[in-house]
Amino acid sequence: MFGYIIKKIRFRKIRNENDAEQGRGAEGDLPAFSEDLEENLKALKLILGKSGDIVLRRFTFGYKNGAEAALLFIDGLVDKSLVHENIMKPLMLGAVPAKETSEGSGIAYIKSALLYVGDLRESASVREAVEGFLSGDTILLVNGSKEALIISLRGWQNRSIEEPLTESTVRGPRDGFTETLRVNTMLLRRKIRCPDLTFETVQIGVRTRTDVCIAYIDGLASPGLIEEIKKRLGRINTDAILESGYIEQFIEDAPFSIFSTVANSERPDKIAAKLLEGRAAILVDGTPFVLTVPTLFIESFQAAEDYYSRPYFASVIRLLRYLAFFISVLAPALYVAMATFHQELIPTPLLLTVASAHEGTPFPSVLEAGLMVIIFEILREAGVRLPRPVGSAVSIVGALVIGDAAVSAGLIGAPMVIVVAMTAVSSFVVPPQTDAGAIMRLSFLILAGMMGGYGIAIGLFAVFVHLASLRSFGTPYLSAVAPFSKRDMKDTFIRAPLWSMRKRPENIAAEDKVRQGTGLTPAPPEPEHQKPEA
Amino acid sequence: MRKFTWKALKIAACVLCMLSVSGCWNSRELNTLSIVMGVGIDKAEEAGEVRITAQVVRPGEIGSAQNGGQSSTGGDAFWNVKNTGLTVFSTIRDMTNQISRKLFFSHNRIIIFGKSLAEEGVHGEVDFFARDPEPRSNVYVLVAEGTAEEVLDTEAKLEKIPADKIADMVEGQTAAMSQSCKIKLSDFVLRLMSKTTAPIATMIEVTGEGEEAVPTICGTAVFKQDKLVGKLDKREGRGLLWVLGEVELSIIVVDGPDGSPVSLESIRSSGKITPELRDGKVVMKIKITEEGNVAEDTGTTPLNTTDALAFLEQQKTEAIRSEILAAFEKAKELDADIFGFGEALYQKYPNEWKDMEDQWDEIFPTIELELDIDAQLRLTGRINSPVTADEG
Repeated sequence: MFGYIIKKIRFRKIRNENDAEQGRGAEGDLPAFSEDLEENLKALKLILGKSGDIVLRRFTFGYKNGAEAALLFIDGLVDKSLVHENIMKPLMLGAVPAKETSEGSGIAYIKSALLYVGDLRESASVREAVEGFLSGDTILLVNGSKEALIISLRGWQNRSIEEPLTESTVRGPRDGFTETLRVNTMLLRRKIRCPDLTFETVQIGVRTRTDVCIAYIDGLASPGLIEEIKKRLGRINTDAILESGYIEQFIEDAPFSIFSTVANSERPDKIAAKLLEGRAAILVDGTPFVLTVPTLFIESFQAAEDYYSRPYFASVIRLLRYLAFFISVLAPALYVAMATFHQELIPTPLLLTVASAHEGTPFPSVLEAGLMVIIFEILREAGVRLPRPVGSAVSIVGALVIGDAAVSAGLIGAPMVIVVAMTAVSSFVVPPQTDAGAIMRLSFLILAGMMGGYGIAIGLFAVFVHLASLRSFGTPYLSAVAPFSKRDMKDTFIRAPLWSMRKRPENIAAEDKVRQGTGLTPAPPEPEHQKPEA
Repeated sequence: MRKFTWKALKIAACVLCMLSVSGCWNSRELNTLSIVMGVGIDKAEEAGEVRITAQVVRPGEIGSAQNGGQSSTGGDAFWNVKNTGLTVFSTIRDMTNQISRKLFFSHNRIIIFGKSLAEEGVHGEVDFFARDPEPRSNVYVLVAEGTAEEVLDTEAKLEKIPADKIADMVEGQTAAMSQSCKIKLSDFVLRLMSKTTAPIATMIEVTGEGEEAVPTICGTAVFKQDKLVGKLDKREGRGLLWVLGEVELSIIVVDGPDGSPVSLESIRSSGKITPELRDGKVVMKIKITEEGNVAEDTGTTPLNTTDALAFLEQQKTEAIRSEILAAFEKAKELDADIFGFGEALYQKYPNEWKDMEDQWDEIFPTIELELDIDAQLRLTGRINSPVTADEG
């Protein structure tokens, strides 16, 4: 029996390995460029096929004899007017009076003296040229030259920088990441003008060849962390990376956990703050969502605005967020447990009211709660997916049906509607944990329905043990609480004044732990008469 | 690593232990329970049997008018289920022949014993409420002047459920007037289990006829062992509460300087018993500290003078003293140690107590009291002088 299973598994493994061999990139080993333009073009055509958006412009320019040249770019990915102005124009006009030399290929001369372009490089490798070409570079081939010029004059339609929809704040910067990697790195660079800010780019995805950029501050992020990220990114062998979620799922620590061990954000200020705490960010071309690691559980409860508003209210709000999270996960379960197992825990007047509301409802409490929670999730999903004008109709129908009609029809007790509504509202308070929260809510509900408070206690125990066992890139997920760090308590349940948070988080920052000087507590100047005489 | 495992094991052990104390559990929907708010226990006509009245809530009649599918029939919000049987528990379970839902005792607020049952002894009836995990130990214990049944059969007037109202009344009475004791089941059981201390309970009677019948708190029932032997009236009742230090708020009416009654509100008080053995005689030193305000003056003499206040304080001291002495006289008459003197003596003189324990019934009436009452007045209210035109 076992032998059979093991054999099966082994077979699986071999098959998987074989699968891995297939589906590689289209081009095999690529030759280098030759001196003959025609040959080069033929080779490129073979690789690039005959897509309609590829522009090939052949022209002659130049010195005495005139040189054959070809310009290749993808329509839509380059700024055409720049190409015309800065490549074609200087070549066709300026080449004539220039030094009459046919020395070598002339490509070095073109590069050094003719083109008005900052970002260009020469390469003899067809692979490099093709890669650049596909990401929007313009390729200049000149007859007689063994090297191609890869000229970066990228330019395409961009979404402009807008306020992110997901993490809006009342006070704080209004810019958000866009789909273009370069714009995103720009946004970070604008916030952190420090030479240590490092962007390391790799391409992932055999077919999509998506630019994935690791951002960190050299000297703050631990070198081990960066190594680990590179290692994990290097492991990814897939054909497509369409969103940072793909990366997240390939590199996370606990793929089987309902909790996410990689955080994401659309806000450059938030990412900048995390970089400054010693974390690393992973930017993916094509999505405004930037990942950060290592991720702690408590990060879900920290909002950017906490740091912009004054500490008192920020602390209160943060505590409320914890409360809301517990309500969103536990409220239906606690209600069911109390109503079906521990009626003695409900104060007498409240029990009488609840009992009168339950009088004549046909379903057991746990079913009632389960139905309501599920209906709410359906309504939410419908509201998110539907086009906005229709979405409001859904919420009106939903509110009427589950709120009012169900109660007046005597199907559902009114207190249950209140509990589920409270749960629903609370679940939006901590967005990063919404997914995990929804799953936990249902699980706790089932536990409570089966075993009451005992079930909830077992569930909580399991969740805490699980949370404590998680790691995110080597950092305990429950950090600051377990393992406990007194210093980090300043920014866990409350948000201490900025001037009191002298050091970076204990578990994250590697080397330069000190964030600021001491004695920064603001105070009014001492009155004149108290000053010692100078 | 091993250290960590050990720690985790220890924590796990603690948590697991915690889980097991959650007690008796099984799933019961709210609409399969009938919530008992009050229980009355009387002597049945058959000898040796008890008659039990359980006041259960009719949830359909509670709640707001806008309660969906359930339409209120406008009836009473309670129903008194009555049954007769040999023991309390069997009688209660036997009620399932009359009522469709299981009786649920966790929200019971009062236990009323009928007078005739109480006179024959209640320990057999109390046992179920102390033993079963469902009833709470903070249920108020009362004794009805007549039968418990007629007390529970009255109308609730302000509240919806008579038992709820009676429990609130017991609380309110102690909080505002402190003339009858407020005894929880746990205190009652403690006193029952003590060899010397006599159990007490709130006494309740029904005044008025028919529609006008209202349960009224009328004093403090005194038990000897588990048998009802007598009753303290309200004045004696407060005397007892002074000594026990359980007077919360109270109104003491004394004669003012000009002979007309003055109401003094007592807002804070404490009582402390210190036993002393003097040449074989037991002396109880009782220290009462009391503070209060002038609340009402029916006379015409201004009370905001030092003399007047000193006079009123003296009057108040005397009033308290006479109340305590009255309670003590009554206790001596019934030979019931309602004050817990025996326990106090045992705590201070454990060795001597061994000899006295068996003869406590003889010793108790010979106890001498030494009262040290410190009664003070703080405020005279919003006006300084009486509301009369003359004298200014």
